[in-house]
Formats: sequence, C-alpha cells, structure tokens
Amino acid sequence: MIEYILMITTVLGAIIALMQRDLLKAAILTGIPGISIAFLFQFLLAPDVALTQAIVGSAIVPVFIALTVLKTRRTEEKSK
Amino acid sequence: MNANALIAVMVILPIASALFLNLLHKKDRTIKILAIITAIVIPIIPLLTPYGSHFFGGYVPLAQNATLAQGLPSLITGTQLFQFHPGVMYVFTSAQQLMVFVLGLITFFAIFTFLNETKRPSGVYAFLMFMGTASVSAILLSDDIFNIFVFFEIAALAQVGIIVASGIKNNYETALKYILLGNIAGPLLLLGIVILLGVTGNVNVTDMIFTFKQGYVDPNSPVILMALALIAFGWLYASGLPPFHTIKSAVYSKALPHGAALLQAFSVFTLVAIGIIILRLFSYNSFTNIAIIGISVIAMILGITMAIVQTDYKRILGYLAVGELGYIGIGLGLGTAFGITAGLFQAVNEAIITSFLFIGFGTVLYKTRTSNTRKLGGMMYVNPKVALLVLLAGLAMAGVPPLNAFQSKLMLIQAAIQSGLPELGIIMILLSIVTFMTFMKAFYTIYMRPKPKELEILDNKIPRSTVISLVALLIICIILGLFPQIATNSLQTLAAGLV
Amino acid sequence: MVVDSQLMSFFTAGSLVVIGIFAALFLDNLIKKIIGLAFLADGVNLFIITMGYKPGGIVYIFLPDMVVSNFAQTASYPLPFALVLTNIVIGASTLAVILGLVIILNKRHGSLSASKILRDKGE
Repeated sequence: MIEYILMITTVLGAIIALMQRDLLKAAILTGIPGISIAFLFQFLLAPDVALTQAIVGSAIVPVFIALTVLKTRRTEEKSK
Repeated sequence: MNANALIAVMVILPIASALFLNLLHKKDRTIKILAIITAIVIPIIPLLTPYGSHFFGGYVPLAQNATLAQGLPSLITGTQLFQFHPGVMYVFTSAQQLMVFVLGLITFFAIFTFLNETKRPSGVYAFLMFMGTASVSAILLSDDIFNIFVFFEIAALAQVGIIVASGIKNNYETALKYILLGNIAGPLLLLGIVILLGVTGNVNVTDMIFTFKQGYVDPNSPVILMALALIAFGWLYASGLPPFHTIKSAVYSKALPHGAALLQAFSVFTLVAIGIIILRLFSYNSFTNIAIIGISVIAMILGITMAIVQTDYKRILGYLAVGELGYIGIGLGLGTAFGITAGLFQAVNEAIITSFLFIGFGTVLYKTRTSNTRKLGGMMYVNPKVALLVLLAGLAMAGVPPLNAFQSKLMLIQAAIQSGLPELGIIMILLSIVTFMTFMKAFYTIYMRPKPKELEILDNKIPRSTVISLVALLIICIILGLFPQIATNSLQTLAAGLV
Repeated sequence: MVVDSQLMSFFTAGSLVVIGIFAALFLDNLIKKIIGLAFLADGVNLFIITMGYKPGGIVYIFLPDMVVSNFAQTASYPLPFALVLTNIVIGASTLAVILGLVIILNKRHGSLSASKILRDKGE
C-alpha cells in the first residue's frame, strides 16, 4: 500500500519541481523524488542501491544544483 | 597470468599514464617525456599481443574450468548455463588488432604535433587525449555491452574536455550543447541495453546471440525492436550520423586541429564498434540493414552538401568528415562479407585521411591565427611543401588512385553492385565528385588565389614535427593504396563471422 | 495483466523518463534542463531495479544458513544492481561537469536562458 503513495509522490514531486519560478526552490524540491525513489528501491528488494540513491539523490544532487543557482541567478527569466 | 593479459594492458596503460600526466603541472620536460613514451608504446602493444580472449578476474566459462565443474549438479551441466560467460570478456582478433593499431598511430601523431606546436604543453590536455584513446580501445575490444556503455560515457566526457581546452571563440557553448545531448542519449542507450538484459538474461553479446539462435527468445518481438531503436539512438549520437551531424561538425570545428583529428578518429571507431554489435545482434531482421543503409545515405548527402556553403574551413572539413561516415555505414548495411570488409577498410582509411587533412589545415591556423576563408589567400608561397601535402590529402579523400580511399571506395561500389543495388554505387560516385569539388574550392581560396592586403602572416616557422607527421601519414596512405591486402586480410575473418 | 506493484513501478519509471526528456528538450532555463536530466537518469535506474524484482522474494544476500536451491529460486536478480550503482555515479559526475560549464557561461552572457546562449551564431 505504501509503495503506491511513494510512486505518486515521485511523479508529483517531479512535476512540481519543474514548475517553479524560483530556481532555489526547484533545486531543493529535486530532493523529494530522490528520496522517494530511495524508499522504492528498498521496497523492491535492493537495499544497497537504496543507500547510494538516498545519499546521491537527496543530498548531493540538490546541493550541487543549489550551489550553481547561488552563483548565477535566483529566478527564471521571463520568456519572450 | 598468460600473454593474453596484454589485451587488458591496451586499455590500462593509457589510463594509468593519463592519471600521472594530470598531476604534473608546470614540469614541462616531464610531461613531454612521459607523453611521448606512452604515445610510442600505445601503437606497439597491439602488434605484440597474441590473438585470443581475456577474461577479467579469471572468470572463464564453467565449461573450460575443469576443477570447478566437477562437483556441480546436472541442473547446471545439462543446460547451456555451462557455456555462459560469467564475467567481462575482451576479444582480440586480427580486425581489432588493425583498428587499435591505427587508433594508436593517430594518437601518436596528435600528441607529437601537440607537444611541438605549443610552448607550454598542459598535462591535463594530454590526460584527456589518453583517456579518450583508452575508452575507444575498450569499446573496440569489449564483448560485454554494459562495459561499452561505461566507456561511451567516459569518452563523451573526454571529448567535451578536449573542446573546452581549445580557447577558440564559442567553444563553451558547443561543449554544453554536446554534453546535454550526450546525457539524453546515454540513459536511452542504457534503457535499450537493459531491455535486452531483461529479455535474454545476459549482458554478454556472444551469449545473447546464442540465446536468439537457439530459439529461447523470439527475436522478432516488438520489445526487441524497441531495444534496437534505443541502442541505435545511442549509436547515432556517438558517431555523428544524422540527426547529430551538425553538433558533431561544430565539435570538430571548435577544437584545435590535433584535437579534432583525434576526435574524428574516436567517432569513426565508435561507429564501427557499436555498428558491428548491432549487426551481430539484430541482423536476422532485414529491417536493420535497410535502416542502416538509409541513415548512411542521408548522412552522405546532408554532410557533403552542407559543406559547400560554409565559410570557415574547419567547418568545411567537419561536414566532409561527417559525410564520409556514410560510406562506412553503407558498407556495414549491405550485409554481405565483401560489403562489410569494404566498409571496415573504408573506416580505417577514413580515420587516417581525415587526421591528415586536419593536421595539414592546422598549419594554416598556426601561421595566420584565422580560419575564415574570406580573409585568407596566397598561402602557397609561404610554404609550398605543406601546400603540396595538403593537396595530396584532399585527393586522397576524394578517392584518387593510387591512394588508399580509391581501393576502399572501389570495393564498396563493387559490393553494392553485387548486392543488387547499383543506385547506391551511382550515389557514391556522385558524392565523391562533390567532395572533390568542395575540397578544391577550399584549397583554392586558402592557397592559390592572391593574398588579400589585410592578411598578416606570422613569422614563426611551421615545426618540423608537423611536417614529419604529414609525410608519415602520406606514406601510410600510399602503402595502403598500393597493397590493400595488408588491411583486408585482417578484416575478412571478422566480416565472414558476421553473416 | 495483473495490476500489482511491479507494473505500477514500471509506469512510474516510464513517466519519469518522459518528464525528464520533456524538460531537457523543451524548457528554456538551463537549470531546469539539468534537473530534467537528473530525473531521466532516476527513471532509468528505477526501470532497471524494477526489472530485477521478484514478487514475494527475498533480498539477494546469501546468509550462512541458507540452502542454495532455495536461495536461487526466491532471491531477486542481483545483476541489475551493479549496473545501477555504476549509473548513479556516472550521473552525478556528468552533472558536476555540466554545472561547471553553466556557471562559466552565465558569467560570460549574464543569463541562464538556453535560447540566448545556445543560439548558433552561424560560424
């Protein structure tokens, strides 16, 4: 039962992260699909992959993208 | 530890040397000595290695490991599990020997030219070139399709590094476009590999072919066609066939000339390696051959016609190089042993001739610091010997006897007529004529027309090493043109095994 | 077909792949393209692990008190997890390289819009 909730969280989190205007929020929201996929890996009987994905997908990748946003610009430009 | 361990050394030695070169900074002499020694050793190793296979970790198939096979239940020995390869396997036969040798030779010339044309050679640039060579050698040798994917990603990163290091205007934008596309094509290639893994239970190509032939899996099911489409998409990206021909030619034009020579060798050999794997896995399906021939014809036409309208000579060369890849694809797609041999021979010739052209035209950049054909002219009187060498390179690309491309294009046209498709022969001849015309136009605008007044020619002499590299490549072209049996004998065993 | 968690997991992986490709090709901002690439890699990894899943099975760790044939029949498939571990690391490293290039391009052009930066200037 819980895995269906996780799957819906993943897809909704991905769509919401891409719809943000503020890039820092988008970077942090990338962590939500990452950690949900880590839980799904544990449910799918692969515990060591779940550990790696939990670290990389929820801590390393959002922090890299947030650092880039801090060094460039904070908001998305208005499309022409 | 037998002599077959030398097969692994072909990949490990460039990587180890590259890691050392990356650490050295500001020690010019050490960088030069280490780079030259590695560049000399890399082409020599394939000539010394005996033919055979190398199993990483010693994991031979159970059928060959008598001590372990004794106590096993008949559940394992009775079925085909006995013959499967449980580890990563590299295969080394005469065709791989020739191709790894030519790749090593081009690496040697690129490193030799680089060390003598720049005053302070950078260790990081040599690191990128050696990592690229190691990756493409591994792609040629490996029989394990996931290993090919890992080295494909490493090669993409190395190519991006070579573009970024060149200092030409707008190279960062091209590098970003290239790696964005690469990060789309890479996971899709992995998806295709994983679909094949799910259907057959193996990542080793020999075992997958065995599973298809024995009928355990239906080879015409739509799932396998989807895997073919995804793997073909990754193949198109790595080799520069349409729809990636514009980004590939931009990549060639934004790198320094010796880097561009090496990059196009990477593209040609990746096309050959992954193309052979696609033929081995999917050739019972006639759709594969038609698709490969179709995309190659489109590549030839688009590449060579777009070369005519360019004004930057590096872009002209880039589009011509992409167009010539189409000939190789036609050879592979024809499906007969003679056609595949012709295609592989054309690949070897193509790598040599295009490196020759890039290094040759690189001398123009060295003397004038510009690559816009509207501003150039009259370079013939600056250095007539180099101009003659570049002219011979262009004639070689168009297929003039007695140089090597004539032999391989003749074999390709014969193979096309033998397979009942003479229209392909006509298209190939027409496009060779257009190639020659484009090259002569570029040669005339750079070398032969009168020098415009604003052009300033720098006073530095072209280094002797560049001229030596050009003469050596010309000698190789002439030898392969007069004695094509040197190459075709090595390639025939591979081609015969594919049909 | 039976609607169970493995099938829904395949659908999740597929939708992540589609969202990732859409973001990488059609969105204008460079940072969002890169987030899309991260989702594409995540989708492919989820697909691989789902393929190796055996409903009602056990984890593929062989403890000392197990019977070999029982283990071989009920454990989930261990080969895909090696592919996924390698792929996660490859994805993180390529992401670092792309982000470095984006920072340098932003300093030169002053914007993060892909249509301004990646427009081919015809040379």
